Amino acid sequence: MPEFNAAFPLPREIDFAMLMPVIMVLVTGMIALVIEMLRPKQNNNLIVIFSIAGLMAAGVATAIQFGQPEKTTLVEMVLRDQFGLICQLLLVVACALTILFSETYLRSRRIAFGEFYPLVLWSTAGAMIMASSRNLLVIFLGLEILSISLYVLAGLARAELRSEESSLKYFLLGSFASGFFLYGIAMFYGATGSLDLAFLANGLTGNPAAKTLLVFGIGLMFVGLGFKAALVPFHQWTPDVYQGAPTNVTAFMAVCSKIGAIAALFRVLVAAAPMKADWLPAMMAIAMLTMIVGNAVALLQKDVKRILGYSSIGHAGYLLVGLLAYVNAPDQVSIATTGYYLLSYTFMTLGAFAVISVVTKDGRDTTRLEDLNGLWQRDRLAAVLLVVFMVSLIGIPPSAGFFGKFFIFQDAISAGLVPLAIVLAISSAISVAYYLQIARAAFVVETEPRPAMRMSPALRATGLICLLGVVLAGILVTPVQRFLMGTPAEEPMEASTTGLVGKG
Amino acid sequence: MEGTASLIWIVLFLPLIGSLVQALFGGSVVAKMGAAKGKRVMGTLAVLPIAVAFAIGAFLTLQLSQQEVGARSHVVTLFDWINIASLRVPFELVVDPLSMTMVLIITGIGALIHLYATGYMADDQEYPRFFTYLNLFVASMLILVLGNNLGLMFIGWEGVGLCSYLLIGFWYRDIENAKAANKAFIVNRIGDWGLTLGMFLLFAVIVANVDKMQLPEGETRWLSYDVILPNIVRIIEAQPAIATAIALLFFVGACGKSAQFPLYFWLPDAMAGPTPVSALIHAATMVTSGIVILNRMHVIFEVSEVASAVVAMVGAFTALFAAVIAFGQTDIKKVLAYSTVSQLGFMFIGCGVGGYWTGMFHVTTHAFFKALLFLGSGAVIYAMAHNQDMRNYGNLRKYLPITFATMFIGFIAIAGLAVPPGFGFAGFYSKEAILGYALANEHASIGVLNLGYYAGVLGLLVAGLTACYMTRMTWLTFFGKEERWRAIPAVEHGHHDDHHVAHAHHAHDHGPDTHGFFYTDEELAAQPHEHEHHHELDETHTPKEVPPSMWIPLAVLAVPSAIGGFLLYRNHAFEKWLQPEPLPVLGEMSGHPEHLNLLMLSIAAAFSGLIVGLLVYRKGLPKSEGWEMGKWATWRKLAANQFGYDRFLVRSSTEGGGEVANMVWKYIDVGIIDKIVNGVGVAVSKVGMLFGAFQTGYVRSYALMMLFGVTGFLGYIVYTMIRVGGGQ
Repeated sequence: MPEFNAAFPLPREIDFAMLMPVIMVLVTGMIALVIEMLRPKQNNNLIVIFSIAGLMAAGVATAIQFGQPEKTTLVEMVLRDQFGLICQLLLVVACALTILFSETYLRSRRIAFGEFYPLVLWSTAGAMIMASSRNLLVIFLGLEILSISLYVLAGLARAELRSEESSLKYFLLGSFASGFFLYGIAMFYGATGSLDLAFLANGLTGNPAAKTLLVFGIGLMFVGLGFKAALVPFHQWTPDVYQGAPTNVTAFMAVCSKIGAIAALFRVLVAAAPMKADWLPAMMAIAMLTMIVGNAVALLQKDVKRILGYSSIGHAGYLLVGLLAYVNAPDQVSIATTGYYLLSYTFMTLGAFAVISVVTKDGRDTTRLEDLNGLWQRDRLAAVLLVVFMVSLIGIPPSAGFFGKFFIFQDAISAGLVPLAIVLAISSAISVAYYLQIARAAFVVETEPRPAMRMSPALRATGLICLLGVVLAGILVTPVQRFLMGTPAEEPMEASTTGLVGKG
Repeated sequence: MEGTASLIWIVLFLPLIGSLVQALFGGSVVAKMGAAKGKRVMGTLAVLPIAVAFAIGAFLTLQLSQQEVGARSHVVTLFDWINIASLRVPFELVVDPLSMTMVLIITGIGALIHLYATGYMADDQEYPRFFTYLNLFVASMLILVLGNNLGLMFIGWEGVGLCSYLLIGFWYRDIENAKAANKAFIVNRIGDWGLTLGMFLLFAVIVANVDKMQLPEGETRWLSYDVILPNIVRIIEAQPAIATAIALLFFVGACGKSAQFPLYFWLPDAMAGPTPVSALIHAATMVTSGIVILNRMHVIFEVSEVASAVVAMVGAFTALFAAVIAFGQTDIKKVLAYSTVSQLGFMFIGCGVGGYWTGMFHVTTHAFFKALLFLGSGAVIYAMAHNQDMRNYGNLRKYLPITFATMFIGFIAIAGLAVPPGFGFAGFYSKEAILGYALANEHASIGVLNLGYYAGVLGLLVAGLTACYMTRMTWLTFFGKEERWRAIPAVEHGHHDDHHVAHAHHAHDHGPDTHGFFYTDEELAAQPHEHEHHHELDETHTPKEVPPSMWIPLAVLAVPSAIGGFLLYRNHAFEKWLQPEPLPVLGEMSGHPEHLNLLMLSIAAAFSGLIVGLLVYRKGLPKSEGWEMGKWATWRKLAANQFGYDRFLVRSSTEGGGEVANMVWKYIDVGIIDKIVNGVGVAVSKVGMLFGAFQTGYVRSYALMMLFGVTGFLGYIVYTMIRVGGGQ
């Protein structure tokens, strides 16, 4: 327990190794901006190369910290723990993959603005900050850095009405949600006298009224983060914004803002675990609602990006189940489950959006299901990739999506949250229908195949990397989990030990 | 040794890499370097990994044999494959006498057959595809025998099933081949049903009795042999019914893969595949995996006398049944196919009566001589313009001296011919060992009925029959003065004698798509005709000895077929290698019946079979077995049709089964299930519409919804808090 110091604290020692990943991504964003200024009216290939190099360096800086002990620095403003590191690494990877296929996509949409790169990098940095702090103000800072960049990105296709609409909608509702989050922070501070989640216990010991305040604070923070993660009933922006934003931004949003939100939710929920009896039922209700609504409404959609938007709502529900299971029984359930799910989610969702971006033509993208028709005739690889990602999103073995879902299912049962497990199984069954619809659309034969619709080499590389991620994570389940937990191969994993057999 | 044992990974990965190389580069290499040179390169690349794997396997076996008896089992783990709550399934291989015996058979005989195939398949256009499958088969088979847990074993089990399917249907443009491939695959599913149920039951029994097992702390590899097998006896000895259930379910799986009655009938059809495939997969290796499983799991069978009796009797019946059917076959490969089914029956007799090592002994010797016979038959077929009907052969020893000499050694080996002090070729020793165990022990009995003994008696009878039908095959093919194919007049594409037309067509095992199933006539005409070089067999044909790449494997295989049995039997070498200590449950077993001179009996059986065969077939094809089916004896006609068994099954399953399926579809599927499913679908989309209705597109309504959501959410929390607080 860190010492409680109400006076304005000054940093005594700073561990730069811990700060490096975020700093690197921020600085890369600045370099990207400078390059853009120095070479106006030129293509952005140089920026892409610099950005990916910077992200790789940040990824390495994150990965070398894996398995190191939990630690705080900068007067407890920055926290390093394993789950945060997992999220940071995934964020960096997701950002790099987005940038990899963005340039050709933006060009085909005729919106190849250099600003895209700094914005997407800073947004990533924001999400990384969210994942690496226990201090509510810092989390809020990260949330806003993530969000404000995203508002701009969603309106990147500024000549298009729908893109602008989505940007504005996202901004208004996002501000609303930020308000809730901020209000929650205020209540938390009122109850505990601190902004650090570690001091939550302060609110439980003294005045009984403080506890009420604290519960409300936790609830409101959950609402603010639930908006970012697209939990029902705070989800309604998702399909509209996903559809309106340029596809590469949608891919980035679906992955990075979700990882950031889940990471912050993890911190809040873990800190609030001592009073889980109060909030767990309500959050279970949210999780169930999210899984059912996300998957049921997706059935009725005719637009691929909207379908994937609702699907991402459903996946947010699954992730929340994983978090709740961990919070409910931390000694029986490993957080590696959620980490693994985030990993599989990153690859399959990014991959799916990347492939979808291939249908763009003449500077516009229409992404109705019919627009995918004939994909098999025009680009076999694209069709195959799409099928693999759909298979993984459904959760068919041996894809990573299957194992991710299976572990969450298993954890929900070991943690005693059986209703969640049942709803998870049912809603996954529902999801088969709409995912297969997408896969099927790619194989409908067109009598006169339209020209174009071929994957660029960069897009192909993105797709193949995602494919590799989905397949390898499915085959090497345990090694991947070990890596995520930062456990060396020899040591036994401190993980789930109950289940079928029991400890007898 | 632990370090050395890791070499086993190389053995496993070599064929796997070989398969990938063939699949990825084969086509382009053949296209770039030209057919002849490209095929030579790819052929070499196909044989090489298997041969190197054999060399490493032999080295490992040598190392293993120099160790103490108790220390001859090494588990090497590559990585954790599945690690979930309380179950760990690593990717681990076991190096022990049983697995290494199989590794040597698979890679040794596999390498020879690959070499042979480079010659046999030389004219095929899809050369790399063939070797892709064949290498993949070797890799799968290695996983099957080397895997140290039931999970890996199952991967191999399904892998070989898949490769078998792909290779039977290799010439898939002929609908008959595709049908045979389907048949093999589907019948094997029935076996897999048993195998998987057996695995599940075993797993359930293990995890329910964890407290009775003596295991190191934290051990959760519930599927691994080194966890199950030392402990399972303690658990199931108290529950013989469960032991019987597990054993019988595993046996169902073994029946499917190893072609035992009632699941044998896919194997003869599987001969539609190229002959090297028949030799490697459907004679020497894959079909023996049932025996391997029984050997691996033998403690379970030791506990259950009933299951053992069933195994022995099914084996004996299959041996007899298939031997009789072999008399009704005129296709040389079909004769060998039924003989394989029959010999597999012998192996099951051995395993059923408790002589587990005798089963493996017969697997080994059978692999030698049956691979030899199959490859020999392939050489004959190759020399006879791909005609497989023995009624068209005769006097071939004059034209094919090397094939004849080697196949004759195989013939002596399978017939079990021996001279009195007990010297014979390979098959004699293993068959003798099986029958000795069967007649001397009482393990396989139900109540007082010692079924194992009767299985042994039946086995003795079948040994005589084997000698007889093999004599028939050998004499019809190689002996006699009459060269019967000279009777086929040289008209273009044989529009003459009805019988000849019919048989010429069936015998031609990979004709172009005569059924027009895949191609229209124009497409067919546009294609380069694949088999134009195969002229039809007619009076102008002169058989020629096969090229060296084909006869060298024959010559190599002839050596162990001749002396392998003697070497392995001498000083109990094979027994001491595979089963150095008494069995854990049954203890020391006797391999020699007391009141019976088995040696003399079996020599007599073999020679009487030979003599009867000679009397009938000495002069060539008897009229009673010629082209006119009307002159055939009734029993032979029945045997030719497998006593109606196959037709009955096909009828009942496709026609009767079709009726049943139709009814199920009409009343249950459409009537009930569809309604439920559609109802659910409609209900779900109603929910979707309900929520979709809120999706108005207006920011204000979204914000309002959020506010409602927050209110509801916080309200629920407050409600819970009051309830929980009230309970305090």
